[in-house]
Amino acid sequence: MTTKDLIDKVGLRPLSTFEHRDVNGVFVSDMLSDVMAGAKSGNLWLTVQTHKSIVPAANLVDVAAIVVTGGKDVPQETVDLASKYNIAILVSDLPTFELVGKLYALGSFAR
Amino acid sequence: MAECLHQWTMTNVQFGFVVFEKCFHCNSLGTYFSVEDTPILGDKYREGDCYWSRVENAQSFRFDLECPLCGRRENFHELMGLMHCPGCPADCGVDAIRRKYEAERTWVLVAFGFIYKDKRGPLPQEKVDILTDYFNQRRDTTRSRIKIVSFDLIKDLSVCRGDFIHDVGMLSQEPVTERKPLF
Repeated sequence: MTTKDLIDKVGLRPLSTFEHRDVNGVFVSDMLSDVMAGAKSGNLWLTVQTHKSIVPAANLVDVAAIVVTGGKDVPQETVDLASKYNIAILVSDLPTFELVGKLYALGSFAR
Repeated sequence: MAECLHQWTMTNVQFGFVVFEKCFHCNSLGTYFSVEDTPILGDKYREGDCYWSRVENAQSFRFDLECPLCGRRENFHELMGLMHCPGCPADCGVDAIRRKYEAERTWVLVAFGFIYKDKRGPLPQEKVDILTDYFNQRRDTTRSRIKIVSFDLIKDLSVCRGDFIHDVGMLSQEPVTERKPLF
């Protein structure tokens, strides 16, 4: 499963410019410390946070993409920083719970 | 016996707060890690000539890194956090390194030790290098790499516009642009 597959299958909206890559799992958290301690390289990170600090955190742990849920607006400075670091910011209009359900149903993220 | 090529894993993770204190007598800054459930802002106490008051809490964590191949374990209790350098106009050592490495798709972050009365605590270079190794070992380095540098390279903290990767000002519904600088 790649970021391109997920954009098509789950209806995610890309905001930043990035190269598509493989996705190997999903990590859900709204805390940067939690992400730095627990997210794995290649994970999809689901969050409602939009502050630009999500970008260096995502970059540090090498997540495949940040998915902002609930259709929240993402500040342009966050998008620009993500583009600079080749990090995908994708937006879903679904609440986190519903998006997790859809991703789980795809069945490609077994641990 | 050949030297171990360590493969670091994170262990002994403890969630807590980085507490920022200010002395309203001499204006010094101090920081420390706390595992209290809820550090209280504005909490005040006296220490010698200093009158400390908590001015900010950042949810954070501390950890050890362990190599399962040889059993070596390093704690990172001196590490206050990691900072993203946005590139200040000043003649800062971090910015010079950042510009050099970013051309090679290597992203530079600054490791900060705790601060006491404006003095920067020690953060051994060996531990900074171990952090760099850890974050590179767990990423796809064909795409990009991480370089951690010490906060000793920052010439003047008071003009630093760096952004800590901390949970400060992110958990309320206030506009994100209102996140306050920590120094």
